[in-house]
Amino acid sequence: MATAELSVKLQSSSGSKIKDFLNANMVNILAAFLFLLLAFFLLYPIAAVLIKSLRGPSGFTLQYYQNFFSKNYYYQSLINTLLLGAINTAVCLVIGFCLAYMTTRGPWILRKPLKIISLIPLIAPPYLFALSLIILFGRNGLVTRALDLHWELYGFGGVVISQTLAFIPLAYMMIESTLMSLNPNLEESAYDMGASEATILRTITIPLLAPGLLKAALLIFVMTIAEFGNAAILGGRTPFLAPDTYTMITGESDFNMGSVLSVVLIAPCILIFFIHNYLLEGKKFTTIGGKPVASEPRKITPLIKVPFVIITTVAAGAIFVCFAVVFVASFYKILGVTHNIVLSNYLDFTSNQAIYNSIRVSFVAAVIGAVIGVLLAYVIVRGKFFGRNFIEMVSLSGFALPGTVLGIGYLLAFSAPPLKLTGGIMILALNCVFRFLAVGVEAGISKLHQIHIEIEEASADLGASFLTTFYRIVLPIMFPAFIAGFLYTFMTAIVSLSAVVFLVSPGFELAAVMIFDKAVYGEVGLASATTMKLVLIVVICMMILNYISNKTRLGSSMKKTAAV
Amino acid sequence: MTTKGVTGDMEGKENGKPMLILKDIHKFYGANEVLKGVSLEVKRGELVTFVGPSGCGKTTLLRLIGGFTDISSGDIILDGQRINDLPPNLRDTRICFQNYALFPHMTVAENVGYGLKINKWPKERIVSRVNELLEMVELEAFGDRMIDKLSGGQQQRVAFARALSLEPKVLLLDEPLSNLDANLRLVMREEIRKLQERLHITTVFVTHDQFEAMAISDRLVVMKDGRIEQVGSPIEIYEKPANEFIAAFVGYVNFMEGRIASIDEKTRDTVIDTEYGKIGITLQQDDINPGDDVLMVIRPESVNISLNCEGSRQNVLCGRLKSYMYAGSIAKCTVTIGDRTMIIDQYNPRDAQHFKHAEKVEVEIPRSVHLLKKKK
Repeated sequence: MATAELSVKLQSSSGSKIKDFLNANMVNILAAFLFLLLAFFLLYPIAAVLIKSLRGPSGFTLQYYQNFFSKNYYYQSLINTLLLGAINTAVCLVIGFCLAYMTTRGPWILRKPLKIISLIPLIAPPYLFALSLIILFGRNGLVTRALDLHWELYGFGGVVISQTLAFIPLAYMMIESTLMSLNPNLEESAYDMGASEATILRTITIPLLAPGLLKAALLIFVMTIAEFGNAAILGGRTPFLAPDTYTMITGESDFNMGSVLSVVLIAPCILIFFIHNYLLEGKKFTTIGGKPVASEPRKITPLIKVPFVIITTVAAGAIFVCFAVVFVASFYKILGVTHNIVLSNYLDFTSNQAIYNSIRVSFVAAVIGAVIGVLLAYVIVRGKFFGRNFIEMVSLSGFALPGTVLGIGYLLAFSAPPLKLTGGIMILALNCVFRFLAVGVEAGISKLHQIHIEIEEASADLGASFLTTFYRIVLPIMFPAFIAGFLYTFMTAIVSLSAVVFLVSPGFELAAVMIFDKAVYGEVGLASATTMKLVLIVVICMMILNYISNKTRLGSSMKKTAAV
Repeated sequence: MTTKGVTGDMEGKENGKPMLILKDIHKFYGANEVLKGVSLEVKRGELVTFVGPSGCGKTTLLRLIGGFTDISSGDIILDGQRINDLPPNLRDTRICFQNYALFPHMTVAENVGYGLKINKWPKERIVSRVNELLEMVELEAFGDRMIDKLSGGQQQRVAFARALSLEPKVLLLDEPLSNLDANLRLVMREEIRKLQERLHITTVFVTHDQFEAMAISDRLVVMKDGRIEQVGSPIEIYEKPANEFIAAFVGYVNFMEGRIASIDEKTRDTVIDTEYGKIGITLQQDDINPGDDVLMVIRPESVNISLNCEGSRQNVLCGRLKSYMYAGSIAKCTVTIGDRTMIIDQYNPRDAQHFKHAEKVEVEIPRSVHLLKKKK
């Protein structure tokens, strides 16, 4: 009798119990769902690469790794890559520091123009610089022919130069933000105590910047060694890991060795990612903040001023020239060879088709990426479940991974049933989503940190269910972050090359891949015009983004994300 | 703080010449003129405070003296030498910033010894000088600490010791107490003042807190909109403000309009016609003549308030007690007289119980009222 009563009671309230359960655990359910997505589209492809590198025709083997370290060619490729990373990082840091120093400490009139030029490369795909170097110094280059030079652009030197130019804005932005956060009174105090400009730099500025400089260095190093385009276009016969992976897959169809190269490339990236995010986290000198003021220019001694001015002028000049050259070249069939100004490069059907495809892929990627990004951010910030940090780490890791790795990973993971995605637009879009997820997640996290949980609690207190609160309160507040995530993903996806180059199918050309192909084959006019179209698209995105961030005070946090 | 073993630069060398002279200083930021002709002399060993509302130019003026900002025109003369074009590292002035600007990557001792090291003092002398300074600010035991392991007050002392390390001719203090909590602020300002007097070091102090300024300074320089409004001792500024702005800036004030009816040449007894009748005062100023329109500067604490009102004696006005806020040592009374309101501070309030329920009160205007001449 008693049990029957009880069961009736249970039945009658089971509906609301499920509802209560959902309400209480919605964040966890959402987290589990998102984690499955991450596992499937991010961890699984990476695991596939790792497994492929360890599995031969007859099971587990270390033979491919043995190959790598015993063959001079591969070994050389690793050395070249690391050397490129080291040189590039050092040069970018020096130039970035000089630029940041001049724009925050230098004469007023120089600050704005230098800053603008330093940031110009942000609107360009990195391989723009490879392209402009070909136009200027290639075998048929303007300068090469004008001066009748017999040098070889293709090789280590060319890659270093183009990479350096491409990564100056990253270095500049990171160093500038640490310099800006440095209380100017510190340097003024040293100045006041009798220190000269050089002494201030040596004893105050640089030691205080050290943690920031180290972070910047690590990041630039990772980005450089993972960067595919410049090395692939200008590498010539000099082996580098990222482009070698590509030749290994597309040229020789050797997935095992391709995977090994990828794993070797991943290793330093993951290591540095950990150092950057966990060891250096919070390593920063704190001081009592006063009112944030711009540093007034000091009388900089010529000893410092002259080299700084030379370095910044040369760097800014080079960036400017590269842009100008690609712009001009877009109006010639081959600049320097043909002399008629033509619009045919802009009207070219295949180019426009490729741009259209790129927009489609990037749009799909941006929508999915922004949604997942906002949800992930919510789960990471508000969730209280075990493994929250792990989810955050995984969702941010896509950015640290070399694109080539995720390219091969997707090729290995999704080219056969149960989930055959290759050959369609979805594999390209999904690849972009999970590679650039960090952007949307960061935007969401920074927005959420501005919102007190009390707002949601107030809503719940007034009787709203979790879903209602999420829908009525969280989403509207997160909307700017969603838009920012969308635009960033879109911009990044549309110029990205290193992963999609593995995944495009014949007949479905993407703009970035097309530029790459045309640059390699010397059709610089078409490549330049297509690049300019991408630049235009990115500029439009940035203007919208700027407008939004001014409106919603998302600005400072978003700019930081942009640097990463 | 103790001053044992530390000798100020100026001790025993006093002469009549001012230590710091500012001559008609102008400063433009673009088209914006933030200093509009500032002239001032600071005597040796004097503590002068620039005080004024934010945006009045006081910090800019301090930075000009320190050399961090170029002046647009005028002259800065330090101990007889024109220093307009000297950068801060070559000027014999030292600044203490509002946020202390202690080097976070150095220990307390390294911070204090930074200037000595830069100026190439021998190691042993640096060590002994740093110890001396730390002893002076009572931080002997903290030499090896990192800056972020110090409290706000301790950081303040370190900054002070660092600024004093090179025995500057002029010490510049930019709102040094504004990051401390109220109690500590009182303690520190007393210590700074004591130390400054012992070292006899010429000091320019900047603050927006008028009470702090009055408590610590030999002389106040009250600034507004890039101009000096008045220079004087705290007593002069408070009791004989030059204009309405200053009168109101250094404390609450009740203004009462009137016209001078008569002045007795011998006794200086003066009668002022006001809308409430005749008020008699003993005139202390020479620049007031019969017929002048004046503003009487009546401080809240100078007015006597008592219960009930007969209203027949001189200087006594009847009013209604609008509010009575009892706060222990003081009661703030708001009294309406006619259609005007007067604030009166009643110190040591005895009849609080009665005042609480009182309606009619009488208010007695003191005979020692400062007058501001109204411009015609």
